[in-house]
Amino acid sequence: MLRRFVSGFEMAVLLAVAVFVGMLFLNSPTKPPGTPAAVVAAAGGIDGGELYGNKCAGCHGGDGSGGIGPRLAGKVVAKFPDPADQIAVVTNGRGGMPAFGTRLSADEIAAIVEYTRTVLGG
Amino acid sequence: MSDANVVTPQRETNMMFVGAVLAGALVAVLAGVYGRMHDPASETTIKLFFSTTLHFKAWVTTAILVLVIGQLFGALWMYGKLPLGDPPEWVGSVHRFFGSLALLLSLPVAYHCLWSLGFNPDGGSGRRFWHSIFGCVFYGAFFTKVLVVRSKKMPSWALPIVGGVLFTTLIAIWLTSSLWFFRQFGWVV
Repeated sequence: MLRRFVSGFEMAVLLAVAVFVGMLFLNSPTKPPGTPAAVVAAAGGIDGGELYGNKCAGCHGGDGSGGIGPRLAGKVVAKFPDPADQIAVVTNGRGGMPAFGTRLSADEIAAIVEYTRTVLGG
Repeated sequence: MSDANVVTPQRETNMMFVGAVLAGALVAVLAGVYGRMHDPASETTIKLFFSTTLHFKAWVTTAILVLVIGQLFGALWMYGKLPLGDPPEWVGSVHRFFGSLALLLSLPVAYHCLWSLGFNPDGGSGRRFWHSIFGCVFYGAFFTKVLVVRSKKMPSWALPIVGGVLFTTLIAIWLTSSLWFFRQFGWVV
């Protein structure tokens, strides 16, 4: 009886592995919203969305829904009424978040912050 | 006429084992290739009642670690290495069950690793690189172990070796992920 149960369970796990492999290839990621031309222009031609995708999405999610890092979409404006405070966090880091002040220019950080506050529905 | 079904030449069993190892290596390489070539989704996936997907992964991997430590004791018992006498018949079935359960629990964890994070050897973190390697090796070793268990033509030392590789790999995976996470963010859910 136990052997029969275990054999059945193994078959179920095998099916789960097949589903897992299928999802790896069939599941499409949510594309992060692109940066409107006006926002890029306001940032001096810097595409904050592209920078966000390269530097921030890994922790905060492509759509800002969070992951390792907290959710940004729909949250950051309320959390940081003054954009300068959000820029300071990105520049200097906080807690588990690394400081980006040495990796990105001030204009790039500003463009990313603007992207999160406008395009991601801050 | 000799009965080749009773006595399998040592060379044949060794070659069978090599074949199983190569098959497992192929699985490991394919996992690494997928992680490298696939464009990481950078999205959260399953988290259940945990705070984030990462919390989910850290704790589930810890649960798998506990299961695998139990598997080690079961294996030692089946091979007569524990002073507990002969193992009851159910030990083998229980060992198979918890091994399958560990694999099942690993799937949503590996899904986020592969699909959402990918394998980036240039990520600047030795920890992430080695975690990626150990993750791929884990599934390759698991595949090899299944082949070894199912075959009647494997050398007697094959199963303990592959089981040992599996155990060691899982320890390394936990050290390079869950332990790092708990030290960074605390033992929180």
